[in-house]
Formats: sequence, C-alpha cells, structure tokens
Amino acid sequence: MVRQQEVFGKKPVRILDKIRESLEKLNEKMEIMIELHKTGRKDFQLLPDAPLDVMTLLSMPDHLRKTAMTVCRLGRATAEEVAEQTHRARAVESSYLNQLVIMGHLKKERKGRKAYFFVEKEDHG
Amino acid sequence: MIHLGTMIAVHSYKGGTGKTLLSVNLAVSLLKHGRKVCLLDLDFRAPSLSSILKIDKTEHWLNDYLNETCKIDQALIDISDRFNSEGKLLIGLANPATEAIREMSAKDRKWEMRALGRLLSLKNSLLNAMDFDYLIFDTSPGLQYSSINAIVSADLVVVATTFDTSDIEGTNRMLRELYDLFEKKTEIVMNKVLHDVSSKSGREELQRKIKDMYKVPVLGMIPCFCDVSRAGGTFIFTQEKPEHTFSKIVNEIATKIEKM
Repeated sequence: MVRQQEVFGKKPVRILDKIRESLEKLNEKMEIMIELHKTGRKDFQLLPDAPLDVMTLLSMPDHLRKTAMTVCRLGRATAEEVAEQTHRARAVESSYLNQLVIMGHLKKERKGRKAYFFVEKEDHG
Repeated sequence: MIHLGTMIAVHSYKGGTGKTLLSVNLAVSLLKHGRKVCLLDLDFRAPSLSSILKIDKTEHWLNDYLNETCKIDQALIDISDRFNSEGKLLIGLANPATEAIREMSAKDRKWEMRALGRLLSLKNSLLNAMDFDYLIFDTSPGLQYSSINAIVSADLVVVATTFDTSDIEGTNRMLRELYDLFEKKTEIVMNKVLHDVSSKSGREELQRKIKDMYKVPVLGMIPCFCDVSRAGGTFIFTQEKPEHTFSKIVNEIATKIEKM
C-alpha cells in the first residue's frame, strides 16, 4: 500500500477504497434482495418483533443458529469477526447475518466502512 | 491478563435426579481443591439452595440480577468461612417466595432474551473480572427457559441422570435435540446406581453400558446411598463426611473437571 501511494499518490488508493466500499454495500443489498425473493416478500420491511431467545434459537436451521449464537456471545460483531469464530467465509457469514436482520432477530448499524450486527436490547420491559 | 474460568450447567431431563446435590457437593469439592467457585441457583421454579445452605435472607436474589435491578456482586453471598479451606465459595440464590416463583414463570420471550444476555455476560464479570475458576449453574429440569439459557451460556453441561426408563429416553432426546444443537460439551453423571461398582471390572462394564446408551462421555457414576437420601439435604456430604464413598466420587468428578 505504501509503495502504491509512493508511485501513484494517495488519490488512487482513496478511489479504490471507495470502490471497495460501494461493492460491499452493493453485495449486501443483493443479499437482502435474494432473501426477500426467497421469502416471497417485495418490500424491505423488517419484521417488527422477533426476539432472539433460546426457543427461537432452537427452532432455527443449524447454519443460522451458529451465526446467531456467535453474535449473542460477542454482543456486537462484524461479519469478519463472526467468520473468525465460526471458521466460515466472511461472505457466507455476511449473508447469514443479513438473513437474521431481515427475520428481525438482529439489528445492523453502519459505522464508517464497517457494518455491525447486534441483538437488540431494549431499555425497558 | 484475561483469566478464563469454566461455566458449568448441571441439568437433567427429570426432577429428582440429584442436580442440586451434585452441584453443591461439586462446588465444595472444587473449593477444597483451593478453587474460587461461584454456585448459582437458576431453578426459579423450585429454589432449594437457600434451604440447603440455610440462608433465608439476602439483600438481593438472582431474580434481581436477571431483572436488571442489581449487579451480580450484590446478589452473591460469600460462605467461604464455613469451610476450612483456601478456596472460595460464593453463592447466588433464587428467591423461594411463591410470589417470586409466580413472577419468574410469567416472563415473556423478550425478558428471557435479555436474561440470556445477563448470563452470557457473567463470563466477563465473574470469570474474568472477579477471577472465579468455576461458575456452576444449578438448573430446573427439562426444557425450561432459565435452564436452556444456562446451557447456552455454559462451557460444559453436566447431565445428571438415573436408570429410570423415561429419564433415559428423555435424556437421550435432550442430548440430540438440545445440547447437540448448541454444540455443547456434554458429560453424563449416572446417579442412584444399583449395579455393583465396588470392583474395577464392574465399574468399567457399567461405564461402557452408559456410554453405549448415551454416546457421550461418562463423568461419574454414583451408587444409590441410603444415608445420602436419609440426610435429605440437611448437610453437605463433601464437607461433613469427606471419607464417605459419595464424597470421594464427587471429588473424583471435580478432579476430572479440573483436568479438562
């Protein structure tokens, strides 16, 4: 990276970063569209109330349970952090995490280039 | 420095298999080995630790910790001075009042989800920040929310079982449809054994039989002792009768856990 910057200056690196960021966002949107298509829904309306309790975890397909459990343990994590724990590919975890967001079990928040997934914790109730 | 102890959930399919007896005696055995142990009563449907340890008053119950009205250290009682040992034993009690039991059984899924978060966070607060070596959850039998929350949080699930036919069938179902699904390290303690385990060959044969039955490792086999039943939870065997065979077997179980 340093050598690249030395040769071309900082601008091309920033452009490449922007392209990568846009591709990641595009990828996420496609994953969401694929999931919506699978479930026959047309709109990106999150299911309002789907607590990630142990009975829900028990009834989940194995591949999603593993991802959901990892987020429960970590509290808040990126797809990369989840992938490190589950020893599955980052792209696979990203897809599962987005599925869990669509199902209403996880929340997602962007901070800069990173997307964080977490179990919603309400203040009261 | 990160100090990571082990979270153990003692669970069973049916009631009366000896979960509490095993939990308490295991905690005392580990304490006698110089360990820092925390024993939590998560059997909110039928709390029993307060009665066994003869503590009827406490500032905060574990119910309060899960209700997010107190911190975990406020719900712990240090009973180490009851034992002449270098180890430590702190306990957290479930509130045995009928009103508290009723209130706990009426919790909704969102509350149970937050309760799981509170139990998972004990790994950091108790095992890491407070340096506990072992955290033992005594749970309700069967598929109760509080028990599954404990199982999900635990590093090791110790399943207390007996030779009762319905218990064997139910335990087998739980092994495949509960512990396996959460990818839990699970070990069996066969309690109230009526077989002859006085000889090495007798023990080995029974161990093989139990392993064939459940297909998971056997952590211990405890014969049916009339004097344990007769004591009815009025005293702790590993504390008051360390030379009793029951205490020796629990001590062996504690040693096996330490070696894991």
